[in-house]
Amino acid sequence: MDIFNALMQGFAAAITPANLLWCLVGCALGTAVGVLPGIGPAVAVAMLLPITGKVDITASMIFFSGIYYGAMYGGSTTSILLNTPGETASMVTAMEGNKMAKSGRAGAALATAAIGSFVAGTIATVVVTLFAPFVAEFAVKLGPPEYFLLMLLAFTTVSAVLGKSTLRGMTALFIGLAVGCVGLDQISGQGRYVGNVPELLDGIEIVLVAVGLFAVAEVLYAVLFEGKVVEAQNTLSRVHMTKRDWKRSIPAWLRGTAIGTPFGCIPAGGTEIPTFLSYAMEKKLAKDKDAKAEFGTTGAIEGVAGPEAANNATVTAALIPLLTLGIPTSNTTAILLGAFQNYGIQPGPQLFTTSAALVWALIASLYIGNVMLLVLNLPMVGLWVKLLKIPKPQLYAGILIFATVGAYGMRQSAFDLFLLYAIGVLGVIMRRFDFPTAPVVVGMILGPLAEAQLRNAMSIGEGSAAVFFQRPMSIALIVVVLAVLILPRVAKAMALKKERAAYV
Amino acid sequence: MDESVDADSPIAARGATWPQTLVGVGVLVTGLALAFGAIGISSEAGYGGVGPNFLPWLVSIVLTVCGAWIVWEARNGGFRDMDAPSGAVETYWSGFVWVSAGLLLNAALITTIGFIFSCMLCYLLAVQGLRRASGQGGVNSPRTWLVDAVTGVLISAPVFWMFTQFLAINLPGLTSTGWL
Repeated sequence: MDIFNALMQGFAAAITPANLLWCLVGCALGTAVGVLPGIGPAVAVAMLLPITGKVDITASMIFFSGIYYGAMYGGSTTSILLNTPGETASMVTAMEGNKMAKSGRAGAALATAAIGSFVAGTIATVVVTLFAPFVAEFAVKLGPPEYFLLMLLAFTTVSAVLGKSTLRGMTALFIGLAVGCVGLDQISGQGRYVGNVPELLDGIEIVLVAVGLFAVAEVLYAVLFEGKVVEAQNTLSRVHMTKRDWKRSIPAWLRGTAIGTPFGCIPAGGTEIPTFLSYAMEKKLAKDKDAKAEFGTTGAIEGVAGPEAANNATVTAALIPLLTLGIPTSNTTAILLGAFQNYGIQPGPQLFTTSAALVWALIASLYIGNVMLLVLNLPMVGLWVKLLKIPKPQLYAGILIFATVGAYGMRQSAFDLFLLYAIGVLGVIMRRFDFPTAPVVVGMILGPLAEAQLRNAMSIGEGSAAVFFQRPMSIALIVVVLAVLILPRVAKAMALKKERAAYV
Repeated sequence: MDESVDADSPIAARGATWPQTLVGVGVLVTGLALAFGAIGISSEAGYGGVGPNFLPWLVSIVLTVCGAWIVWEARNGGFRDMDAPSGAVETYWSGFVWVSAGLLLNAALITTIGFIFSCMLCYLLAVQGLRRASGQGGVNSPRTWLVDAVTGVLISAPVFWMFTQFLAINLPGLTSTGWL
């Protein structure tokens, strides 16, 4: 009952006209950045981080989560109509969705994606509502050794497991950690890697890194390599699902949600695994002959409904580790964490007691945002699609203006704009040579926190690393870290062996 | 091409292992530079045995090792498990120069000529580069330049007003009125 009361209070806070307006603007802006190529939710939130200096925290968090959510809806529109998924999350949607659109069923694909996102988002929000307080209660009992190991787990999965190459993932992670080192050491107050540049004493702003790596790099990459790329756009058909479409979509949405939610809850991150799992499952479960034949040919609706639901469920449930443990598992949640930090608030188990009003208003706004997005997306999809008509040169050059606002607005320093350019060039190199970027952002934000936990843990152990092996929870976490490192490799080796045996 | 290059790897097949080697060298040098910087950081560790220099050393050692490993991969068959990068194989450098000029001039001039004009200039140069990259005709015509300049102001001015007037966030202006 406590949860219910708290949630109702959250609704009371979220439903004020001003907050509703922030939510609406956030959802609309999120949908727009989701639809537009070259700009995603992480960079949109990052560019708008300067508003944290002026806008009250509840309003800005509602606004940012609207962007976060809206971009997921908008992203699927682009991937269905253009087959250029803006981010990994919509990659699977693009596979079947684009095929459906090509065979004249774009409307049904868009409808199942939007309604599926709504269903999954709402169910996952219920899970967040019910479970986050319990996780927070449990997390209060964790000490610095466990926290450090949880962060180590996040580092391991984001760099070594999710990417294609562990080597390049590790390199990206440690570049992020190096960036996080710049500035004053938070425990001793000593300057690190600041040279004679006073601007560096405060460290490097997350806005700079995110906007540089994603927005500026995208523009530079486009001008260097993608000038001649012409995208064919599928025509939009009426947004409507037949009775059969509904019958096929509903179970797929529910299965997708069931797969996605647990993946979001664990501090491991990534929407790739749940969306691919959901796709594989739908493909396998397709019973009737027609549906089976549609996969990979004319596009099966289950192949859009399942992964889209899994994606939204993961993204929503990822708020549990963010809010209760303070551990971000994606670019956008990492930047949301940065937004909290701008207000001097460190998300973690205490958040539910110290800033209960904020947390519940945020959760309530997720319910409201989901409804808003459904309304914004289903009847108004034609309007969003018009955004795809903006010519690329003008769009990309325009993005640079917004990048300037984000980078300059944070600290009012022209030095940051030079740094922004340098980070953009780094981003181009990383993209060209297939280095993942999420580890850089996660490493940069989580690095200083992990370092503080490590040093606190070592102080508790009076300088002995044995402190990590003395409590059952920390031992369990070490086992999990080792398992995520070793198991995929063993599985891969075994599969290879099996393949070879079959070949011989 | 290096004889040991695996011809199946898309990048290696193009004979492009030198750029990969350079990336590895870049990482390696970054690692060494970070190690050099770490020498000057105090090791005062208090009770913990882990001081402010621990993470910098760890980062520099790991990056140095990763850099060396990347160089080795590049010289021995190219990067592993790598997708062919999207877009063209050739690099369109002149477009890059246009966009870079826009961004760097913006950084250099923003405090002098104000946000609106500085961003307009950035937009103008960047859109030139992007237009040229996509092979559009008429990029040199005064009309295109004029239209782009107006578009640049039409984007940057409302952004400026939204931030300075509505959100009260400081952005540099040509005047101190908050409108220009």
